Amino acid sequence: MALLELNKLTIQFGGLIAVNKVDLKVEKGQISALIGPNGAGKSTAFNLATGIYSPTSGKVLYKGQDISGKPPYYINGLGIARTFQNIRLFKELTVLDNVKIGCHSRSKAGIFGAITRLSAIKNEEKQIEEKAFQALKLMGLDKKYDEFADNLSYGEQRCLEIARAMASEPELLLLDEPAAGMNLQEKIVLIEKINKIREMGLTIFLVEHDMKFVMGLSDRVAVLDYGVKIADGTPEEVQVNADVIAAYLGKEVV
Amino acid sequence: MTLLNGLLPPYIESIAITVGIYIIMALGLNLITGVTGQLSLGHAAYMSIGAYASAVVSLQLGMPFIFALLAGGIAAGFFGLIIGYPTLRLTGDYLAIATLGFGEIVKSLLFNMPIVGGAMGLAGIPFKSTLTVTLIVVIIVIWMMVRVERSRFGRALLAIREDDIAAECYGINTSLYKVKMFVLGTFIAGIGGALWAHKIMVLQPRDFGFMKSIEILNMVVLGGLGSIPGTVLGAIVLTSIPEVLRFSSDYRMLLYGALLVIMMRFRPNGLLGGVDVTKLVKKSIKSITGSNFADKEKKKVKGGN
Repeated sequence: MALLELNKLTIQFGGLIAVNKVDLKVEKGQISALIGPNGAGKSTAFNLATGIYSPTSGKVLYKGQDISGKPPYYINGLGIARTFQNIRLFKELTVLDNVKIGCHSRSKAGIFGAITRLSAIKNEEKQIEEKAFQALKLMGLDKKYDEFADNLSYGEQRCLEIARAMASEPELLLLDEPAAGMNLQEKIVLIEKINKIREMGLTIFLVEHDMKFVMGLSDRVAVLDYGVKIADGTPEEVQVNADVIAAYLGKEVV
Repeated sequence: MTLLNGLLPPYIESIAITVGIYIIMALGLNLITGVTGQLSLGHAAYMSIGAYASAVVSLQLGMPFIFALLAGGIAAGFFGLIIGYPTLRLTGDYLAIATLGFGEIVKSLLFNMPIVGGAMGLAGIPFKSTLTVTLIVVIIVIWMMVRVERSRFGRALLAIREDDIAAECYGINTSLYKVKMFVLGTFIAGIGGALWAHKIMVLQPRDFGFMKSIEILNMVVLGGLGSIPGTVLGAIVLTSIPEVLRFSSDYRMLLYGALLVIMMRFRPNGLLGGVDVTKLVKKSIKSITGSNFADKEKKKVKGGN
């Protein structure tokens, strides 16, 4: 059974069908990628999988459980964490606090815990801090824990997004254009990090523009164009697919 | 326990009690507007609910003050729950208008409720909010707010202020957290109202209008949204300035307004907005004791490159 499965997933905004009957499987332990030209519906598919949008029809299955239309916080609790294409950090908070918030799903202190600060709550807080530092170390940001997120460089902010997602101890990590705006050096480091995360046993599903980045990294690639899946397979298969070439470069008119 | 009472001249003592009550009010609103970023323009309504509820408990039931105090908080918190549940789904301007509307409704209801004296007001409330009592409550509320802010719950509220979609995606049930936060904030407003009732001894609905809500909001904004020391300072400054300016008689409110404009011009983020006070204190202690403060700065610069 696939870890995440999109089943004839469709969403319609007014007259626009942004995602149209997309079938997709993300296998456990693999790195799967979703690519496609601008406006193909990749990010919308992500938003459907993480509960930001509810599908018009079709289903999102996680470990066989139907999660379509469930709220995002619930889906995060099940073990799916994501990053955002247009970085959505908590800008006026420190790097450490950003990652600590990522631990939310895996901790439980409430208002009364906050006020009474019993020893159990203190222990939990200590664990949150340890976990947060682990996630920061993984992404190479532990020395900057005290900085405001807004003061990090663009590449660092992207890494912090991944660190925050990792802090929620997910089984499935969704990365929405993780390499966007990064230079070559940063991309090479990022590929290393993503491979490391995979070795930790996580399943990764990413949306990306950069073909080279995707082809070197992914086990499976699906291609979306105008909301429709036009290809699915290994990177080698997809690269020579005539429909994919047409979607990316345009059709030859003779 | 009553050590502080009567230590100061009565006029100063009375102002000090008022300052304390406003600190409590402002801290409750700071949780809602400063920490969680939900603009509420009806905070005075919860103050009035707390004030009237506690007055009724004192007058009709003749219960000890501590019960009146809690009754005020619980009544306000209960209305916070009822109003917060539907309205906190709104954001920004819409929430502001909804809370404003609720504030006016409460005022009109109180005007027309003979049980609590209507427009005549409710008189004969015993004086219980001594300086000592007020100070104790202020300290408890500050202590609670500091603990809440530095907790998993507080971080979730900050996350909602910064980016509610991202917060939701990291496991925070934003609507539930907003309602919980609102109940706590209005509970504190109710406590403040109860203290107010037992200080001023006569309650009149018109004391709790829109202008009162704005006055409290002013304190939070002037002090620095989201900053507990800032909010306390804002409440102290804005409550005492009109008293300090009494010498200028007719021009008092004019000067008050001018001071507000000037402060916002030079400290748009509030007096202590964006200032980490604990860090500041630690830093100054370190620099006084001459430890490796300079080295740390160097490291920071290095890291920045």
